[in-house]
Amino acid sequence: MSEGRRKVVIMPCSGIGKTYGTVSREAAYEVTEDLRPDDAQLVALSLLVLGDEEARAAVAGSPAVTIDGCKLACATKMVEESGGTVAQDFAVLNAYRRHRQLKPQGIAELNEAGQKLAHVLAEEIVAVVDSLSRDDGGENA
Amino acid sequence: MKSDSMTQSNMSEFLELTVDKFTFRVATDRYYHSEGVWAQAEGNRVRIGLSDFLQQRSGDVAFVEVKPEGTVLAFDDEVAVIETIKANISLALPVTGRVVEVNPAMEVAPEVINQDPYGEGWLAVIEASDWESDRARLLDSQAYFLVMKQEAEEEAKRL
Repeated sequence: MSEGRRKVVIMPCSGIGKTYGTVSREAAYEVTEDLRPDDAQLVALSLLVLGDEEARAAVAGSPAVTIDGCKLACATKMVEESGGTVAQDFAVLNAYRRHRQLKPQGIAELNEAGQKLAHVLAEEIVAVVDSLSRDDGGENA
Repeated sequence: MKSDSMTQSNMSEFLELTVDKFTFRVATDRYYHSEGVWAQAEGNRVRIGLSDFLQQRSGDVAFVEVKPEGTVLAFDDEVAVIETIKANISLALPVTGRVVEVNPAMEVAPEVINQDPYGEGWLAVIEASDWESDRARLLDSQAYFLVMKQEAEEEAKRL
């Protein structure tokens, strides 16, 4: 995705003090800062809750990938309630079910397995981002 | 959780306890181990599962390992271990007997425990060796409701 085109919104869980929330955020950081900085942008759930205009505009103008830390699925619900489009919702628990050897532990700092789980999740998200970028096809270039 | 907002009400099929934003249901058509595993007799076969309170307190279930069919166990033996986002929890069997059926959903969709603890989320069926004796050791729904209420209140005080 080149400059001027819309970036896929990545919205992780905002749960504080929860291991799975931390995994969701680590995955989001990896996608938006390391793997696809030109194609994806992180939007904070808390800003959307507060009604921040920039956050709402980002969600309104681009497909979103949400990463939920628990079954409350706050990220997914908030994007939908804001009128955005959830292109794909990920749940950390489901990622763990697919990779049982990667049991995440820790909150402020994830254990090694948790970091690997975040990486695996980030790779799955990147596949979605790439697909959405291809679908976008330069129409907003 | 705050205990001062606690309410309770009786429904036709469930006893219900609300604490803050949490509502816990106790099905009235079965018996309960004090640790929260329910038992429902169907002849000499007893279906078991987790109470709504136990599943909510335990958190989202990631994996379940139930003792395989054919395993003979005594009352209070470990019949299953559930791994949730919070902890690994050992479940005590509320009846003596042989495991004759394990819910296949436990292998592929264990989240059904959280979604429907008294229905599709059952764990296993046990062929009881002496259900009447075991039943005398269990709590009926009213008695379990009081145990659950006390535990919920104590937890509310800690938060």
